[in-house]
Amino acid sequence: MTPSARPQPLRSPEPSRRVLLTTGSSDAHTWNLVHLQLFLEEHGHSVLNLGPCVPEQLLVDTARMTSPDLVVLSSVNGHGHQDGLRAARALRADRKTRSVPMVIGGLLGISPEGAATRTAELLDAGYDEVYADGTPPTALLRRLADLGGACTGRAAA
Amino acid sequence: MYRAGRGLTTSAPPPFAPGDLGAFVQESAEAGELVVQPRMGMVGPEEMAGGVAAVAALPERTVATLTIDSYTRVGDHAAATAALRAGLPLNGFPLVSHGPKTTARVAAAAGRATPVQVRHGSADPMAIFRTMAAAGLAASEGGPVSYCLPYGRTPLAESVAAWRDSVQFLTEESRAHGRRAHLESFGGCLLGQLCPPSLLVAVSVLECLFFVANGATSVSLSYAQQTHPGQDTGALTALRLLADEFLPPSVDRHIVLYTYMGVYPRTVPGARLLLRRSAELAVRGGAQRLIVKTETEAHRIPTVAENLTALRIAADAARTAPRRGSHPGGRSAAEADAEETLAEARTLVTAVLALSDDLGVALLKAFDRGLLDVPFCLHPDNRGAVRSTVAPDGRLQWTDLGALPLLTTSRRTIPMTSRQLSGMLGRVAREHDQAAAANPPPEPAPRDAPASSDEPLRIAFVGMGPRGLSVLERLAARCAEGPPARPVEVFAVDPYEAGAGRIWRTDQSPWFLMNTPAQEITMFSGPADTGPHRPGAGPTLGEWWAQDDPAGAEPEGYAPRAVYGRYLTYVMRRIEETLPSSLTVHRVPARVICADRARPGGGQDGGAHRLRLDRGDVLTVDRVLLATGHPVNEPDEGQLAWNRFAREHSTPTRPVRHIAGGSANEMPLAAIPAGASVGILGMGLTFYDILTELTLGRGGSFAEGCDGLLYLPSGKEPRILAGSRGGVPLLTRGANQKGPDHRYRARLFTAERMAALRAEGAPLDFETSVLPWLLAEVNLVLLATRIRQVHGPEAAADFTERGAQALADRPDPLLLERLAAGYRVDSRPLGGIESLARPFGGRRFGSPAEYHKVLTEWLRADLFEARLGNVDGPLKAAADVLRDVRQTIRTVVDFGGLTPASHRWFLAEFGPVAAMVSTGPPQLRSEQFLALLAAGVLEPVGPGARFGADPVEGRFSVESTQVENSWVPLDFVVDARVPGTDLEADRDPLIRGLMADGEIRTFTNALDGGEEFATGGLDCTDSPFHPVRADGSVDTTTHVLGIPSEYTRWFTQVGSGRPGPWGSFTRDADDIAEALVGAAGTGRPVADRVVAGSAG
Repeated sequence: MTPSARPQPLRSPEPSRRVLLTTGSSDAHTWNLVHLQLFLEEHGHSVLNLGPCVPEQLLVDTARMTSPDLVVLSSVNGHGHQDGLRAARALRADRKTRSVPMVIGGLLGISPEGAATRTAELLDAGYDEVYADGTPPTALLRRLADLGGACTGRAAA
Repeated sequence: MYRAGRGLTTSAPPPFAPGDLGAFVQESAEAGELVVQPRMGMVGPEEMAGGVAAVAALPERTVATLTIDSYTRVGDHAAATAALRAGLPLNGFPLVSHGPKTTARVAAAAGRATPVQVRHGSADPMAIFRTMAAAGLAASEGGPVSYCLPYGRTPLAESVAAWRDSVQFLTEESRAHGRRAHLESFGGCLLGQLCPPSLLVAVSVLECLFFVANGATSVSLSYAQQTHPGQDTGALTALRLLADEFLPPSVDRHIVLYTYMGVYPRTVPGARLLLRRSAELAVRGGAQRLIVKTETEAHRIPTVAENLTALRIAADAARTAPRRGSHPGGRSAAEADAEETLAEARTLVTAVLALSDDLGVALLKAFDRGLLDVPFCLHPDNRGAVRSTVAPDGRLQWTDLGALPLLTTSRRTIPMTSRQLSGMLGRVAREHDQAAAANPPPEPAPRDAPASSDEPLRIAFVGMGPRGLSVLERLAARCAEGPPARPVEVFAVDPYEAGAGRIWRTDQSPWFLMNTPAQEITMFSGPADTGPHRPGAGPTLGEWWAQDDPAGAEPEGYAPRAVYGRYLTYVMRRIEETLPSSLTVHRVPARVICADRARPGGGQDGGAHRLRLDRGDVLTVDRVLLATGHPVNEPDEGQLAWNRFAREHSTPTRPVRHIAGGSANEMPLAAIPAGASVGILGMGLTFYDILTELTLGRGGSFAEGCDGLLYLPSGKEPRILAGSRGGVPLLTRGANQKGPDHRYRARLFTAERMAALRAEGAPLDFETSVLPWLLAEVNLVLLATRIRQVHGPEAAADFTERGAQALADRPDPLLLERLAAGYRVDSRPLGGIESLARPFGGRRFGSPAEYHKVLTEWLRADLFEARLGNVDGPLKAAADVLRDVRQTIRTVVDFGGLTPASHRWFLAEFGPVAAMVSTGPPQLRSEQFLALLAAGVLEPVGPGARFGADPVEGRFSVESTQVENSWVPLDFVVDARVPGTDLEADRDPLIRGLMADGEIRTFTNALDGGEEFATGGLDCTDSPFHPVRADGSVDTTTHVLGIPSEYTRWFTQVGSGRPGPWGSFTRDADDIAEALVGAAGTGRPVADRVVAGSAG
């Protein structure tokens, strides 16, 4: 939706991937998204950043249109668990986006209690990985490097 | 360029309403004081009012804040209301859901002098402004840009249109009511971080111009503390100068500074240092108001106490700060900073104003073209072409101007990396944590010494009947769970036996029965376990009765009221025998005759309550619970006339007497001689008590006859003539087929639907908006039960499901009838509940004998229905719905949910009819009624009975307008109606004194249009139920529960809890207990507030 924050990649990874960056439908925070976009772009990936308060339908429609290599949901308002479950169910319910890899991370609940249950539910709903708050963003780079399939990043960018 | 500061002119100011925010800030500025203000929003009106009162009570110059929750912010009032009803936590005060009355009450906690501002964050504030305006509030904040771009996806065009309409509404509505709207732009914050000052200043000025263009005459311009004190000082100077340049001189304006809105220091000293620096900045830069942050900002939602601390620290720092004009970097640096920001901001403002005469259109064009562009903002309508950075010296700078019309600056640097970004976002926090660790900021001078922790919190329970007992039980249970910081001392003041009180005295006639089965009653807030009976775990009345009197007890039946009294005293005793160490209870067998307050600080809530007791001494306490129960009222004109008439015509051989309403136990029924004619006014539960006392109580007995009960008179009975509006007794209660833990789940008359209805349209008209849903629910159960009797439970469930779906949008009885017709049962729904309660309508009877015959048939039919049960009997199952959804009705009606006219109708028409249908006596009572009627002892007079005084006969008389030859002279008239709550007529000296002092007032349901309904009940807030004073302020150190608050709340005449999940009886008690434990200091956060916006 917004143009890329356009710093030059510091290095070109092999392969370069296309990331759809999103957040919970109730989450108005954006600094986390801005930071992740910069970070991923610096590492040679291309990022489509959907911005704050992303409705499930917008996420699904965008994912259908752009077929990203990875969907990254970052949420810090404490509703990430509920919002994230809805987002996953929406993506997994659509034939065209059913198998898009997706991960979630951030402050997903309002308190640390129940983190293990939340993680299990999110994995069950279809996330390939759930990052606890405080996980360094380099974990995303490993995830992107581990993705199978052809490189799509440069071609699409 | 750098002009001398603008003097604060005071040319004959127009008289502003008390609490006018603009005028308050100007006065404070003239006195040389910085106004300090928290961000504070709690879900409950009580906590919110407590917070508001605490802020207002500070010796600093404060503005109180109502910060609303996220659901209300995004306009999802139904979700906020549902969360509210379900007791879920919200991150702010759901102003729209609470509605204007509650909001007005909460705001009143600020008193008259302290302004109250609503802070929200909404891109469409119309609903908030409407509620505010109706609540008499006129100050808010935000803006079409600043509450749109940083907060989500609402298109900017929608936000501009919504803000235009909303500002126009608020300013006009306020003006029409003699108030002046105040609007503060949030433009000085935007994303909170990394935005160069010139854009913040420009947006703040543009939004204030937008407010003025739409009618505002009092505005404030904001700026959020950024990364460099010198640059910030310059920005404040620029903001003030630019405002003077562009705003019309007649517009009242001031500058408000926000303490840093980005990532906050993690340590307490670091946070305090940053807060102190913001207060110093405010003074130096000439801001007149400061919105503070707390030291727990980085970790969690702060408590009220933490907010108060922050306010005190800020005010302390402001008092000791160097005045305006001083500058950390010297005068030339100050001028350079101010000039640069002013020049850039002026260019931006001028460029936008040139786009259109309509400022709203100009703003849209400006963002579309990138002439305004917020760095790092991801909103779809923000171009996102500009970039900025924190320079090595700490100043914010542009690194990419995008399409901004700023030609003079060119400081392109290398693009920012993600690592640099996180470094910059956390820079201020880091710096302050480090600086404060090396050199901690001073503590603010303490203004009040906190209460010593071993000083007990003293609480008087005025009235120790079931309501007082219920609070004590929860208080003891809570103290046992975790001791509060201070010990708690309770004084249980009641001239009658503690626990039972006046109404449930243990020495009353054994003939008076309760009207709820014993096993459905408990005073313990949890079931008995293997441990000793104690608060939170104890037997129901049924269980206790069976243990206490194995031979006589009937747990499934209805216990004598004296037995319940003994149970209540048992509960009281168990509480005293199992007290946790933190709690002591003193019984004070006395009456409180008056109360006043020691007010050392001059504040209303400052000092202790002094309660004068009738035995002479004075009880001094910190908290008071008013649970005085059934009132004794002064006789009204009619009653006085009857008393006079009786006195004039009574002779020793032929006494004539009027016995006023009240508890049957207290009536001088023994004074009625055998054979005298007694008219009983009203045929409710008290009527049955009197009837039993005058028959069984006089030695009569009932025997099983071949056709029901037979009455065998003792010969000492009087002749009993009973009359009421409907001419029939209460409907018999259905045989109970529901377990003690049964909870009904409504399908159509749901709590959610009613909450939504209230949120959308309060005040409501009960008859047109609420009653149709209630009737639909009643009919759904009626028809489903009929279907179940014929076709079995599956068919009934199927019908219920289909019925609930068919009526989901519209409670149309015809749809239900059509649906039920498919099941080949009697498909006629009830047209209204009055057809049950008033079976005879306007029907006429040729003689009392004819009427008695018809009445007998009717009551026999009713008994037949009752024997079918409250699950299997269609009519009784349907009637039980009214009992089951009583709490939902309360949520619609209580605290001014109905219009005055509808409230009046509800109490006069619906209430009695609902009571007729759903509060009736056990079958035994109806069987006895029939036997007494057959024996000629009881003679019901007929529908529309009229009691009067006959000067010719020298006696009272009664007559039914619908029964021929029904006129009968009477020696005695006994009023068997429950006296209504009417504080104006209450004979209790305590209530009278509190009324006279304005410490309590009666609740008047009033609309702005002038329509009023003075209810006579005590005006109080929602949980934890504080009384409202005559001046509208809230007494947060007093709670009121039960019958005195009738009419403000509905159906408070409940003297027992139910086993199983807590109902409102126990919940209300627990809410007050929680507030009392909180007052004794649990250390648990009292308050929640919104986590501000997107920053950090």
